[in-house]
Amino acid sequence: MKNSKIVLLLMLSVAGIVKVNAQQGLTKVEVNYSAAFPTSSFKDLISDGSFRGIDLKIIHNINDKIAVGLTTGFQDFYQKYPRAVYKLNDGSDVSAVVSNSVQTVPLLATFHYNFGPQQRLQPFVGAGVGGDIVLYRQYLGEFGSSKNSFAFQAQPRIGLYFPFREGGTTGLTLSGYYNIIPFKYNGTTNLNSFGVSLGISFPTRNY
Amino acid sequence: MKTGILNFLASVSLIALVTGCTKEPLNNLTDDESRIYITNHDSTVNFKSFHTFSVADSVALVNNNQPGGKDQTAFDVQFISALKAAMAAAGYTLVDKSNNPDLALAVTVINNNYSGIISYNDYGGYYGSYWDPYYWGYPGYSYYYPTYYGVYNVNETALTVDMFDLKDAASSNQLKNVWTALIRGEGIFNTDKATSQVQSLFSQSTYLKIN
Repeated sequence: MKNSKIVLLLMLSVAGIVKVNAQQGLTKVEVNYSAAFPTSSFKDLISDGSFRGIDLKIIHNINDKIAVGLTTGFQDFYQKYPRAVYKLNDGSDVSAVVSNSVQTVPLLATFHYNFGPQQRLQPFVGAGVGGDIVLYRQYLGEFGSSKNSFAFQAQPRIGLYFPFREGGTTGLTLSGYYNIIPFKYNGTTNLNSFGVSLGISFPTRNY
Repeated sequence: MKTGILNFLASVSLIALVTGCTKEPLNNLTDDESRIYITNHDSTVNFKSFHTFSVADSVALVNNNQPGGKDQTAFDVQFISALKAAMAAAGYTLVDKSNNPDLALAVTVINNNYSGIISYNDYGGYYGSYWDPYYWGYPGYSYYYPTYYGVYNVNETALTVDMFDLKDAASSNQLKNVWTALIRGEGIFNTDKATSQVQSLFSQSTYLKIN
Protein backbone atom coordinates (compact mmCIF):
# COMPACT_ATOMS: atom_id res chain seq x y z
CA MET A 1 0.00 0.00 0.00
CA LYS A 2 2.84 2.30 0.94
CA ASN A 3 4.61 1.44 -2.31
CA SER A 4 1.43 2.20 -4.26
CA LYS A 5 1.26 5.64 -2.66
CA ILE A 6 4.90 6.30 -3.54
CA VAL A 7 4.33 5.23 -7.15
CA LEU A 8 1.22 7.40 -7.37
CA LEU A 9 3.13 10.34 -5.92
CA LEU A 10 5.93 9.84 -8.42
CA MET A 11 3.46 9.66 -11.30
CA LEU A 12 1.78 12.87 -10.20
CA SER A 13 5.15 14.57 -9.87
CA VAL A 14 6.20 13.51 -13.36
CA ALA A 15 2.84 14.63 -14.71
CA GLY A 16 3.32 17.95 -12.97
CA ILE A 17 6.77 18.41 -14.45
CA VAL A 18 5.48 17.55 -17.91
CA LYS A 19 2.60 19.95 -17.42
CA VAL A 20 4.86 22.78 -16.27
CA ASN A 21 7.13 22.30 -19.27
CA ALA A 22 4.33 21.64 -21.76
CA GLN A 23 5.08 24.82 -23.71
CA GLN A 24 8.85 24.70 -23.53
CA GLY A 25 10.47 24.08 -26.91
CA LEU A 26 7.11 24.14 -28.59
CA THR A 27 6.79 25.88 -31.95
CA LYS A 28 3.33 27.13 -32.74
CA VAL A 29 1.54 28.74 -35.61
CA GLU A 30 -1.09 31.39 -35.05
CA VAL A 31 -3.62 32.23 -37.73
CA ASN A 32 -5.83 35.17 -36.86
CA TYR A 33 -8.54 37.21 -38.47
CA SER A 34 -7.76 40.87 -37.84
CA ALA A 35 -9.57 44.17 -37.95
CA ALA A 36 -7.73 47.48 -37.72
CA PHE A 37 -8.75 51.07 -37.14
CA PRO A 38 -6.62 54.00 -38.33
CA THR A 39 -5.50 56.54 -35.76
CA SER A 40 -3.39 59.68 -35.75
CA SER A 41 -2.41 61.06 -39.18
CA PHE A 42 -3.57 57.89 -40.94
CA LYS A 43 -7.12 58.72 -39.87
CA ASP A 44 -7.02 61.83 -42.07
CA LEU A 45 -6.34 59.59 -45.04
CA ILE A 46 -8.68 56.73 -44.19
CA SER A 47 -11.03 57.02 -41.25
CA ASP A 48 -12.95 53.79 -41.88
CA GLY A 49 -11.93 50.67 -40.03
CA SER A 50 -10.62 47.74 -41.99
CA PHE A 51 -12.30 44.37 -41.52
CA ARG A 52 -10.16 42.72 -44.16
CA GLY A 53 -7.08 41.43 -42.49
CA ILE A 54 -5.11 38.45 -41.41
CA ASP A 55 -2.43 38.14 -38.78
CA LEU A 56 0.01 35.21 -38.99
CA LYS A 57 2.66 34.17 -36.51
CA ILE A 58 5.14 31.46 -35.94
CA ILE A 59 6.41 31.50 -32.38
CA HIS A 60 8.81 29.32 -30.52
CA ASN A 61 8.47 28.92 -26.76
CA ILE A 62 11.86 29.30 -25.13
CA ASN A 63 10.16 28.38 -21.89
CA ASP A 64 6.63 28.40 -20.49
CA LYS A 65 6.52 32.17 -20.35
CA ILE A 66 8.77 33.51 -23.05
CA ALA A 67 8.33 33.00 -26.78
CA VAL A 68 9.99 34.55 -29.80
CA GLY A 69 9.02 34.37 -33.43
CA LEU A 70 7.97 36.09 -36.59
CA THR A 71 4.79 37.96 -37.42
CA THR A 72 3.41 38.73 -40.84
CA GLY A 73 -0.06 39.29 -42.22
CA PHE A 74 -2.09 41.59 -44.37
CA GLN A 75 -4.49 44.44 -43.79
CA ASP A 76 -6.47 46.22 -46.46
CA PHE A 77 -7.61 49.80 -45.77
CA TYR A 78 -9.89 51.56 -48.19
CA GLN A 79 -12.12 54.59 -48.22
CA LYS A 80 -14.01 56.42 -50.92
CA TYR A 81 -14.92 60.01 -50.21
CA PRO A 82 -17.92 61.77 -51.77
CA ARG A 83 -17.21 64.15 -54.62
CA ALA A 84 -15.58 67.36 -53.45
CA VAL A 85 -13.61 70.23 -54.97
CA TYR A 86 -9.92 70.38 -54.10
CA LYS A 87 -7.70 73.41 -54.61
CA LEU A 88 -4.34 72.57 -56.14
CA ASN A 89 -1.09 74.51 -55.81
CA ASP A 90 -1.26 75.81 -59.39
CA GLY A 91 -4.57 77.53 -58.60
CA SER A 92 -6.73 74.99 -60.37
CA ASP A 93 -9.81 73.42 -58.85
CA VAL A 94 -10.36 69.69 -59.17
CA SER A 95 -13.70 68.09 -58.54
CA ALA A 96 -13.26 64.39 -57.86
CA VAL A 97 -14.30 61.37 -55.89
CA VAL A 98 -11.15 60.53 -53.96
CA SER A 99 -10.40 56.90 -53.12
CA ASN A 100 -7.56 56.01 -50.78
CA SER A 101 -6.27 52.47 -50.65
CA VAL A 102 -3.55 51.18 -48.33
CA GLN A 103 -2.34 47.62 -47.88
CA THR A 104 0.15 46.74 -45.20
CA VAL A 105 2.18 43.56 -44.88
CA PRO A 106 4.20 43.46 -41.63
CA LEU A 107 7.39 41.47 -41.27
CA LEU A 108 8.22 41.58 -37.58
CA ALA A 109 10.47 39.88 -35.11
CA THR A 110 8.15 39.08 -32.22
CA PHE A 111 8.48 38.59 -28.49
CA HIS A 112 5.72 37.23 -26.20
CA TYR A 113 5.57 37.00 -22.44
CA ASN A 114 2.86 34.73 -21.00
CA PHE A 115 1.76 35.69 -17.46
CA GLY A 116 -0.12 32.47 -16.69
CA PRO A 117 1.09 29.49 -18.68
CA GLN A 118 -0.95 27.00 -16.64
CA GLN A 119 -4.16 28.97 -16.39
CA ARG A 120 -7.32 28.41 -18.40
CA LEU A 121 -7.07 32.02 -19.55
CA GLN A 122 -3.51 32.99 -20.23
CA PRO A 123 -2.84 36.73 -20.49
CA PHE A 124 0.21 37.76 -22.42
CA VAL A 125 1.99 40.84 -23.68
CA GLY A 126 4.08 41.05 -26.78
CA ALA A 127 6.08 43.32 -28.99
CA GLY A 128 7.05 43.19 -32.61
CA VAL A 129 9.71 45.22 -34.37
CA GLY A 130 10.63 45.19 -38.03
CA GLY A 131 9.33 46.50 -41.29
CA ASP A 132 6.14 46.80 -43.23
CA ILE A 133 5.58 46.57 -46.97
CA VAL A 134 3.22 49.47 -47.63
CA LEU A 135 1.21 49.74 -50.84
CA TYR A 136 -0.43 53.15 -51.03
CA ARG A 137 -2.67 54.32 -53.84
CA GLN A 138 -4.75 57.45 -54.17
CA TYR A 139 -7.26 57.91 -56.96
CA LEU A 140 -8.90 61.11 -58.14
CA GLY A 141 -11.80 59.58 -59.99
CA GLU A 142 -10.17 56.79 -61.96
CA PHE A 143 -6.79 58.48 -62.13
CA GLY A 144 -4.36 57.22 -59.59
CA SER A 145 -0.96 57.74 -58.09
CA SER A 146 0.89 55.33 -55.89
CA LYS A 147 3.76 55.00 -53.50
CA ASN A 148 5.09 51.67 -52.37
CA SER A 149 7.68 51.48 -49.67
CA PHE A 150 9.16 49.40 -46.92
CA ALA A 151 8.56 51.26 -43.68
CA PHE A 152 9.68 50.71 -40.12
CA GLN A 153 7.04 49.15 -37.86
CA ALA A 154 6.72 48.58 -34.14
CA GLN A 155 3.78 46.69 -32.66
CA PRO A 156 3.07 46.43 -28.92
CA ARG A 157 0.39 43.83 -28.14
CA ILE A 158 -1.68 42.44 -25.28
CA GLY A 159 -3.84 39.37 -25.45
CA LEU A 160 -5.39 36.25 -24.03
CA TYR A 161 -4.82 32.65 -24.96
CA PHE A 162 -7.61 30.12 -24.29
CA PRO A 163 -6.38 26.52 -24.64
CA PHE A 164 -9.15 24.17 -25.81
CA ARG A 165 -8.31 21.90 -22.90
CA GLU A 166 -6.41 22.51 -19.71
CA GLY A 167 -2.70 22.57 -20.44
CA GLY A 168 -3.41 22.12 -24.14
CA THR A 169 -1.24 23.48 -26.89
CA THR A 170 -4.07 24.33 -29.28
CA GLY A 171 -6.49 27.10 -28.53
CA LEU A 172 -7.97 30.46 -29.33
CA THR A 173 -6.00 33.67 -29.20
CA LEU A 174 -7.55 37.09 -28.79
CA SER A 175 -5.32 40.14 -28.84
CA GLY A 176 -5.23 43.88 -29.28
CA TYR A 177 -2.28 45.72 -30.73
CA TYR A 178 -1.09 49.08 -31.93
CA ASN A 179 0.75 49.48 -35.24
CA ILE A 180 3.33 52.26 -35.36
CA ILE A 181 4.34 52.87 -38.99
CA PRO A 182 6.05 56.16 -39.94
CA PHE A 183 5.09 57.00 -43.53
CA LYS A 184 5.50 60.44 -45.06
CA TYR A 185 3.60 61.14 -48.26
CA ASN A 186 1.05 63.71 -49.42
CA GLY A 187 0.74 65.23 -45.95
CA THR A 188 0.42 61.88 -44.22
CA THR A 189 3.05 61.32 -41.53
CA ASN A 190 2.19 57.82 -40.38
CA LEU A 191 -0.04 54.79 -40.91
CA ASN A 192 -0.65 54.08 -37.24
CA SER A 193 -3.62 51.93 -36.37
CA PHE A 194 -5.21 50.02 -33.54
CA GLY A 195 -5.98 46.39 -34.28
CA VAL A 196 -7.74 43.41 -32.81
CA SER A 197 -7.25 39.84 -33.86
CA LEU A 198 -8.94 36.54 -33.11
CA GLY A 199 -7.68 33.22 -34.26
CA ILE A 200 -6.37 29.80 -33.59
CA SER A 201 -3.00 28.80 -32.25
CA PHE A 202 -1.69 25.31 -32.82
CA PRO A 203 1.63 23.46 -32.65
CA THR A 204 3.55 22.84 -35.85
CA ARG A 205 3.52 19.10 -35.06
CA ASN A 206 1.63 16.81 -32.74
CA TYR A 207 3.01 16.35 -29.24
CA MET B 1 -2.96 14.42 -37.54
CA LYS B 2 -6.65 15.04 -38.16
CA THR B 3 -6.52 18.16 -35.98
CA GLY B 4 -3.49 19.40 -37.91
CA ILE B 5 -5.29 19.05 -41.23
CA LEU B 6 -8.34 20.86 -39.85
CA ASN B 7 -6.15 23.67 -38.56
CA PHE B 8 -4.43 23.92 -41.93
CA LEU B 9 -7.75 23.99 -43.82
CA ALA B 10 -9.15 26.61 -41.47
CA SER B 11 -6.07 28.75 -42.01
CA VAL B 12 -6.18 28.47 -45.78
CA SER B 13 -9.91 29.29 -45.78
CA LEU B 14 -9.28 32.38 -43.68
CA ILE B 15 -6.52 33.57 -45.99
CA ALA B 16 -8.70 33.00 -49.06
CA LEU B 17 -11.60 34.82 -47.44
CA VAL B 18 -9.54 37.84 -46.50
CA THR B 19 -7.60 38.21 -49.74
CA GLY B 20 -10.81 37.78 -51.73
CA CYS B 21 -12.38 40.67 -49.86
CA THR B 22 -9.73 43.25 -50.73
CA LYS B 23 -11.36 46.42 -51.96
CA GLU B 24 -10.08 47.37 -55.39
CA PRO B 25 -10.74 51.13 -55.78
CA LEU B 26 -11.34 51.06 -59.54
CA ASN B 27 -13.93 48.29 -59.16
CA ASN B 28 -15.87 50.41 -56.70
CA LEU B 29 -16.42 53.43 -58.93
CA THR B 30 -19.47 54.27 -61.00
CA ASP B 31 -18.97 56.11 -64.29
CA ASP B 32 -20.04 59.35 -62.60
CA GLU B 33 -17.53 58.81 -59.81
CA SER B 34 -14.74 58.03 -62.26
CA ARG B 35 -14.89 61.50 -63.80
CA ILE B 36 -12.76 64.43 -62.76
CA TYR B 37 -13.43 68.08 -63.52
CA ILE B 38 -10.49 70.45 -63.55
CA THR B 39 -10.88 74.20 -63.98
CA ASN B 40 -8.41 77.04 -63.85
CA HIS B 41 -8.54 80.73 -64.59
CA ASP B 42 -6.49 83.87 -64.87
CA SER B 43 -6.70 85.28 -61.36
CA THR B 44 -5.93 88.81 -62.61
CA VAL B 45 -9.10 88.88 -64.67
CA ASN B 46 -12.30 90.40 -63.34
CA PHE B 47 -15.07 88.29 -64.84
CA LYS B 48 -17.62 90.94 -63.95
CA SER B 49 -16.10 93.16 -66.63
CA PHE B 50 -17.44 90.90 -69.38
CA HIS B 51 -21.04 91.00 -70.50
CA THR B 52 -21.50 89.11 -73.75
CA PHE B 53 -20.27 85.82 -75.10
CA SER B 54 -20.39 83.53 -78.08
CA VAL B 55 -19.72 79.80 -78.40
CA ALA B 56 -18.17 78.07 -81.41
CA ASP B 57 -20.92 76.02 -83.07
CA SER B 58 -18.88 72.87 -83.45
CA VAL B 59 -16.25 70.95 -81.57
CA ALA B 60 -12.58 70.87 -82.47
CA LEU B 61 -11.00 67.43 -82.63
CA VAL B 62 -7.44 66.73 -81.63
CA ASN B 63 -6.34 63.21 -82.40
CA ASN B 64 -2.96 62.02 -81.27
CA ASN B 65 -1.89 65.62 -80.71
CA GLN B 66 -2.73 66.51 -84.32
CA PRO B 67 -5.63 68.63 -85.58
CA GLY B 68 -8.49 66.33 -86.54
CA GLY B 69 -11.00 68.77 -87.97
CA LYS B 70 -14.35 69.71 -86.47
CA ASP B 71 -17.38 67.72 -85.50
CA GLN B 72 -20.96 68.30 -84.43
CA THR B 73 -22.36 65.11 -82.96
CA ALA B 74 -25.57 64.93 -80.92
CA PHE B 75 -23.42 65.09 -77.81
CA ASP B 76 -21.54 68.14 -79.12
CA VAL B 77 -24.80 69.97 -79.79
CA GLN B 78 -26.12 69.11 -76.33
CA PHE B 79 -22.88 70.12 -74.64
CA ILE B 80 -22.68 73.47 -76.44
CA SER B 81 -26.32 74.13 -75.63
CA ALA B 82 -25.65 73.40 -71.95
CA LEU B 83 -22.64 75.71 -72.07
CA LYS B 84 -24.78 78.56 -73.41
CA ALA B 85 -27.37 77.95 -70.70
CA ALA B 86 -24.76 77.93 -67.94
CA MET B 87 -23.21 81.19 -69.17
CA ALA B 88 -26.64 82.79 -69.37
CA ALA B 89 -27.38 81.62 -65.82
CA ALA B 90 -24.14 83.30 -64.73
CA GLY B 91 -25.45 86.58 -66.12
CA TYR B 92 -23.74 86.74 -69.51
CA THR B 93 -25.62 87.49 -72.71
CA LEU B 94 -25.32 85.23 -75.72
CA VAL B 95 -24.65 87.11 -78.95
CA ASP B 96 -23.64 86.10 -82.41
CA LYS B 97 -19.90 86.13 -83.00
CA SER B 98 -20.43 88.92 -85.54
CA ASN B 99 -21.67 91.19 -82.74
CA ASN B 100 -18.32 91.63 -80.99
CA PRO B 101 -18.79 89.37 -77.97
CA ASP B 102 -16.61 90.02 -74.91
CA LEU B 103 -15.88 86.32 -74.46
CA ALA B 104 -15.41 83.42 -76.87
CA LEU B 105 -15.90 79.82 -75.80
CA ALA B 106 -14.69 76.77 -77.69
CA VAL B 107 -14.95 73.07 -77.00
CA THR B 108 -12.25 70.56 -77.91
CA VAL B 109 -12.30 66.78 -77.85
CA ILE B 110 -8.88 65.26 -77.31
CA ASN B 111 -8.41 61.68 -78.31
CA ASN B 112 -4.97 60.17 -78.05
CA ASN B 113 -4.82 56.56 -78.99
CA TYR B 114 -1.47 55.06 -79.65
CA SER B 115 0.22 51.74 -79.63
CA GLY B 116 3.80 51.07 -78.84
CA ILE B 117 6.17 48.22 -79.30
CA ILE B 118 9.03 47.43 -77.03
CA SER B 119 11.61 45.29 -78.68
CA TYR B 120 13.52 43.36 -76.11
CA ASN B 121 16.59 43.89 -78.25
CA ASP B 122 16.25 47.62 -77.50
CA TYR B 123 17.08 47.24 -73.85
CA GLY B 124 18.47 43.75 -73.70
CA GLY B 125 21.84 45.07 -74.76
CA TYR B 126 22.13 46.77 -71.41
CA TYR B 127 21.66 43.59 -69.45
CA GLY B 128 25.36 42.91 -69.35
CA SER B 129 26.04 46.20 -67.59
CA TYR B 130 23.54 45.32 -64.87
CA TRP B 131 24.07 41.60 -64.54
CA ASP B 132 27.20 40.43 -66.16
CA PRO B 133 26.80 36.74 -67.09
CA TYR B 134 29.39 36.22 -64.34
CA TYR B 135 26.56 37.08 -61.94
CA TRP B 136 24.80 33.88 -62.99
CA GLY B 137 27.96 31.88 -62.82
CA TYR B 138 28.81 32.07 -66.54
CA PRO B 139 31.82 34.37 -66.89
CA GLY B 140 32.79 35.14 -70.47
CA TYR B 141 29.37 34.29 -71.86
CA SER B 142 27.10 36.81 -73.60
CA TYR B 143 23.37 37.23 -73.65
CA TYR B 144 21.33 36.20 -76.69
CA TYR B 145 17.91 37.65 -77.49
CA PRO B 146 15.43 36.16 -79.88
CA THR B 147 13.18 38.70 -81.58
CA TYR B 148 10.65 39.30 -78.85
CA TYR B 149 8.24 42.22 -78.87
CA GLY B 150 6.00 43.65 -76.21
CA VAL B 151 2.96 45.56 -77.50
CA TYR B 152 1.07 48.11 -75.46
CA ASN B 153 -1.88 50.37 -76.20
CA VAL B 154 -2.80 53.67 -74.56
CA ASN B 155 -6.12 55.45 -75.05
CA GLU B 156 -6.67 58.90 -73.54
CA THR B 157 -9.79 60.93 -74.07
CA ALA B 158 -10.63 64.32 -72.64
CA LEU B 159 -13.05 67.14 -73.20
CA THR B 160 -11.89 70.72 -72.77
CA VAL B 161 -13.59 74.08 -72.75
CA ASP B 162 -11.59 77.26 -73.28
CA MET B 163 -12.71 80.82 -72.75
CA PHE B 164 -10.91 83.70 -74.49
CA ASP B 165 -10.98 87.42 -73.79
CA LEU B 166 -12.12 89.19 -76.97
CA LYS B 167 -12.95 92.48 -75.26
CA ASP B 168 -9.29 93.30 -74.65
CA ALA B 169 -7.93 91.56 -77.72
CA ALA B 170 -7.34 94.76 -79.62
CA SER B 171 -5.30 96.35 -76.86
CA SER B 172 -3.25 93.28 -76.05
CA ASN B 173 -3.04 92.07 -79.63
CA GLN B 174 -3.84 88.52 -78.51
CA LEU B 175 -6.76 86.31 -77.58
CA LYS B 176 -5.96 85.61 -74.00
CA ASN B 177 -7.25 82.44 -72.36
CA VAL B 178 -9.00 83.46 -69.15
CA TRP B 179 -10.70 80.19 -68.16
CA THR B 180 -10.10 76.58 -69.03
CA ALA B 181 -11.90 73.40 -68.09
CA LEU B 182 -11.05 69.74 -68.54
CA ILE B 183 -13.22 66.66 -68.13
CA ARG B 184 -11.83 63.15 -68.02
CA GLY B 185 -13.21 59.78 -67.04
CA GLU B 186 -15.75 57.20 -68.09
CA GLY B 187 -18.82 58.11 -70.14
CA ILE B 188 -17.90 61.74 -70.72
CA PHE B 189 -19.43 61.65 -74.22
CA ASN B 190 -22.82 60.35 -73.12
CA THR B 191 -25.40 62.83 -74.39
CA ASP B 192 -27.52 62.55 -71.26
CA LYS B 193 -24.48 63.57 -69.17
CA ALA B 194 -23.64 66.69 -71.17
CA THR B 195 -25.67 69.12 -69.07
CA SER B 196 -24.61 67.79 -65.68
CA GLN B 197 -20.96 67.91 -66.71
CA VAL B 198 -21.23 71.56 -67.74
CA GLN B 199 -22.99 72.33 -64.46
CA SER B 200 -20.13 70.70 -62.57
CA LEU B 201 -17.62 72.94 -64.32
CA PHE B 202 -19.53 76.09 -63.48
CA SER B 203 -20.42 75.15 -59.93
CA GLN B 204 -16.72 74.91 -59.04
CA SER B 205 -15.93 78.18 -60.88
CA THR B 206 -17.80 80.51 -58.57
CA TYR B 207 -15.89 83.56 -59.85
CA LEU B 208 -17.42 83.04 -63.29
CA LYS B 209 -20.44 85.32 -62.99
CA ILE B 210 -21.46 88.91 -63.43
CA ASN B 211 -23.44 89.35 -60.22
